[in-house]
Parts: sequence; C-alpha cells; structure tokens
Amino acid sequence: MMAGAEKFVEADNAEAIITRIEHKSRKIESLLKQNKPVEALKTALEGSSHMIRDERCKSANWIVVHRALMAIKDVEGMFSSLDPEYLYRGLSTGDRPTCDQCLRIHEKLTERAGLGCILRSLADTVNTV
Amino acid sequence: MAAVAVHQFAQCITCHAWSPDHSMVAFCPNNNEVHIYKLVNDKWEKVHVLQKHDQIVSGIDWSGKSNRIVSVSHDRNSYVWNREGPEWVPTLVILRLNRAALCVRWSPKENKFAVGSGAKTVCVCYYEQENNWWVSKVIRKKHDSSVTSVAWHPNNILLATTSTDGKCRVFSTFIKGVDTRESKTGSSSDPKFGEQIVQLDLSSSWAFGVKWSPSGNTLAYVGHNSMIYFVDDIGPSPLAQNVAFRNLPLRDVLFVSEKMVIGVGFDCNPMVFAADKSGLWSFIRFLGERKESLSGPKSGSQFSEAFGKLYGQAKHGLSNDTVEPSKIQGAVHDNCINCIALLNKKGSQTKRFSTSGMDGKVVIWDLGNQQDLKEYL
Repeated sequence: MMAGAEKFVEADNAEAIITRIEHKSRKIESLLKQNKPVEALKTALEGSSHMIRDERCKSANWIVVHRALMAIKDVEGMFSSLDPEYLYRGLSTGDRPTCDQCLRIHEKLTERAGLGCILRSLADTVNTV
Repeated sequence: MAAVAVHQFAQCITCHAWSPDHSMVAFCPNNNEVHIYKLVNDKWEKVHVLQKHDQIVSGIDWSGKSNRIVSVSHDRNSYVWNREGPEWVPTLVILRLNRAALCVRWSPKENKFAVGSGAKTVCVCYYEQENNWWVSKVIRKKHDSSVTSVAWHPNNILLATTSTDGKCRVFSTFIKGVDTRESKTGSSSDPKFGEQIVQLDLSSSWAFGVKWSPSGNTLAYVGHNSMIYFVDDIGPSPLAQNVAFRNLPLRDVLFVSEKMVIGVGFDCNPMVFAADKSGLWSFIRFLGERKESLSGPKSGSQFSEAFGKLYGQAKHGLSNDTVEPSKIQGAVHDNCINCIALLNKKGSQTKRFSTSGMDGKVVIWDLGNQQDLKEYL
C-alpha cells in the first residue's frame, strides 16, 4: 500500500542531478561512437527519472534520452522496457524524425505489452518524464 | 461456451438487476425509465415500465428477500418500488443531493440501501417504521470526487466505496435502532455512522466497481489504468495486491467464489482472475471467444458479420415488446460491459452470472462447463 513517502533524489539541489546527467551524456556519446545504440539507450535510462521533480532536470534528462533514442536503427532488436512516457514526450515535440522513431517504437511496445501498458502511462499524472 | 444466452433488449443498457427467482429482469435502456421483462415460454416479454424519473436511471437493485426495487437517477432522486398486486408502487426517497445519483445497492439484510453520488457523498437510507418513510443519512466527508460504486460487507454495517478521486474507502454505516451492536466488543469500539475505517490509495486514476468476497475477507476494485486491486485484512494495515493486465480497463467486478473474480469492461469480454493456494491473484484468461484481429485474412467474413448485425438490428426494433432469444455468435458483447450480476440458483452448485452493456445486450454466463476453472470455485 502506497504510504506516499517518496524519497526525492534531489533532496539537496538540482545542480547535482544536472552534473550526473552531463556525465551520462558523455558516456552515451562514446557508446554511440562505438556503434552501440542499445547500450547507449540503457545508459540514458539509468537513474530513477520518475523521482525528479525539477523541470530543468527533466528536460536535461530528456535531451540525453532523445539522443540515444534517435540513434536506434533496428527497432525490432531493441529491448522493450522503455518507459512509454518517453515516447509520448517525443511525440509531443512534433518534430518529424522524432515522431517517426517514437511511433515505430510505440507500435512494437504495444505488440509486446498490450493496451493496458499505454493506459497506465496515460493515467499516471504523478510520475512523468 | 461459457455464454449460455444472449438477449438484445435495447440499443444500450445502463444497468440491470434480477428478480429473486430470476424470472424477471429490470434494466434501464439508457433513458429515464426502468423496463421489466419476464421470460414467458422462452420469449422475453415487457411486463412493466416504471416511469417516475426525469433523467437517466443510473442504478437499479432488486432485493432478494423483500422483493423491492430501488432505482436512482441523474435527476438526484431515488424511488423504492413495492409490488402491490399487479402494479409497482413507487415511494420517493429524499436524498437531498445537489448532483446526480450514480449507483445504488441494498444491504445484505435489505433494511438499508446506499447511494453513491456526483456530489462526493454517499447516502445511506433506512426505513423509519413510525413515519412510514425512508430516511437518508449522508456521509459528506472524505470523498474528493464522484462516488462511482458502493458495496456492502456481509455484516450489513461496513460499506466500501470507490471514487473518481482514485481511492477506495471503507466506512461504518452503523445506525442506532436499525443495526444491532455487537455487545461482546463493548460499545466504545463500535465505529459511528460515517466513520472511515480505511482509505486505500492504490490507483492514480479513477476507481470503479468495488465488491466484497462472499466471506467479507477480501475486497476487489478496479482502476481506470487497467489495473485490478485485491485487498485483504481491511483495517489499520491492509494487504494489497496490484494486478496489472495487458488490456483495456474494467468497469465492474464480481466474486463468484472466495478465490475467483470476474472483471468486465471495455474489452467487451469477461476476464477471469483467480487466487492460487498462496493467495496470489493473477489474470487467468478471457471467458468468451476473442474477436479476430483486423489484420487477419478473413475480411470477407467480417463484412458479412457486420451486414448480418445490421439486418438483425432491423428485426429487433425498439417498438417491439417481445424479444427472441438470439443465437450465440463468436464475440458476445460488441461494446463496453458496464454491469455484472450474480445469478446463482438457490441450492444449486452451478455458478452463473449475467452481464449487460452499452450494446444493449444482457448475456447469461455459466461456469459449469469451464473445466480449467473448477478448482477455484
């Protein structure tokens, strides 16, 4: 039963998180250079982004995830534990290549996880990315 | 085939309830009336139309022992209908609501009924013998949004409610003069009317369809985020299980035994949930046959099926007072199922229930021939 006592990662300040995200970003760039987009995406999704409340941190995190997401060529081979929330954030940008990629991944995700998964991410207004 | 009978009564049904002997069914055909149909010689005939409400009837319940119907409506009123000879005589129950009434349930002893409303309140009504009328007591606190569903614990005192604020709550509805105190625990431990026993905040989205298990030990309710929640040990530290499933959300649930729950909703197909020996709940399977996926090669048969439905609709016009029982096709309901009711015959072992939905059909299901589910019954 949820007691509602979430431990916020940025108990102190958002700066620490931004530094962490920048560190992640460097790791991802190097993984992409080595042609390892799936590894890059895994790295990008590390860290509990749901706990972050600060909008700047969320945006910074999104930029890093977006970079890794767009680098994925083989959507089939991708592991499907990507949070649907990221896909909706991508679709909301309206940017053509981003939307194309997100829709492709969304289709695969729906096949594997079903409609319930989509409903859960739509219904959840608390844990957003 | 689990579905044993399908009846197309109207274009859309809001809710339904059965008479004590299951020979008659009362439902609202998405308007301000309650229609009662009786099964006569294998054909359903309209025998009564109860017309008192001004707006859509959102809830109907038929008491099993006292044979009374209670109906509630968006017109903020409720009526208790008593059978006097060939007629149903209505008694207005003043709920003092300023928003629509959404759901209603008779208590197990049938001396009270509870109404959930859009005014964020629950009205518990009881009969006052001296004045020969029904009195309403209101639970005003706690709910932050509309109360979508109410369910009575077998002890006739505890009431569970679900709300569009996402929470499920259990209240005491103890009324002096109507309920008897359990003297062994002493009067100080008996909760007062309207006292909240527990609040369950498991869903981040609207909650619907709460029901207690036959013994009252387990509570089940659904969230609009395609989840179903099972809660044991209602009290200071309840044990909750969140079961997520792949499909569209549910609207209502029914305990067919202590260990089996049927959920119905937007997938138009009843879902079976069961608890294993260790008490862990999970989704077992769908009860009806699944619809063919659109990408299949059978588009020709889909066209003819749709054509057949149109043709079938023309035969069962709304002005028709008799309804032929129709043949059972593959996918039984074609629109959201929003109401499920238990249909057990007294003394019989068979487990039957009925569902009604936005497609205007009432379907009767029998679990007797479902071999793989027998262990849970």
